[in-house]
Amino acid sequence: MTYVLRRAALLAAVTLGSAVSAFAQVLPAEPIALAGGRVTVAGDVTASFGPDDTGFFNYTDYEHSALRLFRVDLTTSVTLSPHFAVLGELRDENIETLRAYALYLRVRPWIDRPVDIQVGRVPPTFGAFARRVYAADNLLIGYPLAYQYLTSLRPDAVPWNADELLRMRARGWLSGFSIGDQTLENGVALATAFRWDTGVQVHAGANALEGTISVTTGTLSNPRVTDDNSAPQIAARVSARPVAGLVLGASASQGPFLSSVASRGAVGDGHDRSFTQTAWGGDVEYSRGYYLIRAETIWSQWKLPALGTPVIDRPLTALSTYVEGRYKLRPGLYVAGRIDHLGFSDIVGSSGTESWEAPVSRVEIGAGYSIQRNLIVKASVQRNTRDGGRVTNATLVAAQLVYWF
Amino acid sequence: MFACSAFLARDPIGVRGVDAARNGAIRGRVDLRKTPAPIEPRPNVADLGAAAATLDISDRLRSVVYLESAPRGAFEFVETTHAVMDQRGERFVPHILAITTGTTVDFPNSDHIYHNVFSLSKTKRFDLGRYAAGHSQPVRFDRPGIVRVFCDIHSHMNAFILVFSHPFFSLTDNEGRYRIDNIPPGSYNVIAWNEGVQSEPRAVTVPDGGVAEEDFALR
Repeated sequence: MTYVLRRAALLAAVTLGSAVSAFAQVLPAEPIALAGGRVTVAGDVTASFGPDDTGFFNYTDYEHSALRLFRVDLTTSVTLSPHFAVLGELRDENIETLRAYALYLRVRPWIDRPVDIQVGRVPPTFGAFARRVYAADNLLIGYPLAYQYLTSLRPDAVPWNADELLRMRARGWLSGFSIGDQTLENGVALATAFRWDTGVQVHAGANALEGTISVTTGTLSNPRVTDDNSAPQIAARVSARPVAGLVLGASASQGPFLSSVASRGAVGDGHDRSFTQTAWGGDVEYSRGYYLIRAETIWSQWKLPALGTPVIDRPLTALSTYVEGRYKLRPGLYVAGRIDHLGFSDIVGSSGTESWEAPVSRVEIGAGYSIQRNLIVKASVQRNTRDGGRVTNATLVAAQLVYWF
Repeated sequence: MFACSAFLARDPIGVRGVDAARNGAIRGRVDLRKTPAPIEPRPNVADLGAAAATLDISDRLRSVVYLESAPRGAFEFVETTHAVMDQRGERFVPHILAITTGTTVDFPNSDHIYHNVFSLSKTKRFDLGRYAAGHSQPVRFDRPGIVRVFCDIHSHMNAFILVFSHPFFSLTDNEGRYRIDNIPPGSYNVIAWNEGVQSEPRAVTVPDGGVAEEDFALR
């Protein structure tokens, strides 16, 4: 009996598949599990390439632009027991100083109940985007203005009067006031996504309804490791999933914003807790099939001391709203866009009424392509416009390479 | 998986010998020297609470044993059938599926949350989008090869679909036992595969109407 043997096409396919996935085999494609899965290590590497942003629209502090950034995140989870786990993240930007971005103990008091207590440098309770800042989760390259754009406000310095504040319009990347720390530093965003606060967080619920409350040392604008004003911030968030694909969220927070040094320099002792940041937020996400739509709005209010004339006689407020969406054109390829606006309340200066910061808007559109599951290349173009400052508009094109495991 | 078992129980068209020879079988065991690690979720520090535990590794103990080369006629065998890969408890069930070309795999969502099944494999590139519990999407596999399947929402969800252009393969049970039936007598190269790791081809002779034994050790 003679059988003519024919090579199974599978062999060729397996060989081909091996060659294609060679890159994935050199670099890990899944979290590294050690000690029988009790220790897991994951990583994110992001390289962003963009032009010089002379208007500082995308700066996250004085030195770092979100469009020109090489970032490495290494996250670790150590499961000590079914009740206890330690989670941490080391982050390096542009190969400078390695910093502990997160480090906390997660306690699950009851194994079968979705209640967790997190203690340490914990993820943000407020809002939706702050927990999606990883490049693989961000649809585009830029960030929503509320979480990134630097206003002129500083927690360690206070403007003497309205004119001094107005002089810093559109200068959030390098702001300075005469009371408190007088060195020039970057101001703060409404709710920064680039530093996490330190404290205690309790989360309960799963899927249909979830709630989180936290007590931390800093504020949304100024998360901290150590307390600088002897009073905590309280933040809370509730989210619901009434139907599949729909997520509704609401957040609130309040805490002293100014440091003790700044508030004492302005109005003396006894007012450390008076100058607060209060914020409210609402967010919605809907997804189905190949599209995803998100919207989020944040209203923030800062109380500053009323000092010289013209007096800053009412709290400063800011309102930010963005809508973003993604549509998958084909496997591995999507297009995305975001429309974003950040506006500010008016104050009265010597030369009239003006918003205390320059309103800014951004439209960004882009696309992402997955070379492989954990290797994504993105490109985007964003148009920034600002009602004030030396540079009032900028069109910026950027590209980004994202690898994660 | 069940689709493949039913498939192997039959006599593939054109595979039965040109003379009166009786088909045989290859059976044996695949031992994994090192237990595959459980599928761990990424340690997402941004989560406000703990993720659901997904530590069941039983599916990862299952291997696939197949003939590297097949008798004439095996490739003309075309059977359009269905298999199922469920999404349940933030896992693909089963984790490994072995099918023949022409098979349609249904991907039902049995969870109360969205999933988004996709693959960027050369063999079959697809993205089923997001759909809710109770819904299912089919994918037909027409080319042989290995297809890695993921969920775009839950990065710890992954699975393998091995697509063969012949029916001579078998999925091991949890103890590693396998049996490939209905093989015409002759000499073949046999390969064992587990989670992307495969053995060197082993030469095995299937006797007329008999059973050949071949064990493998992987990892």
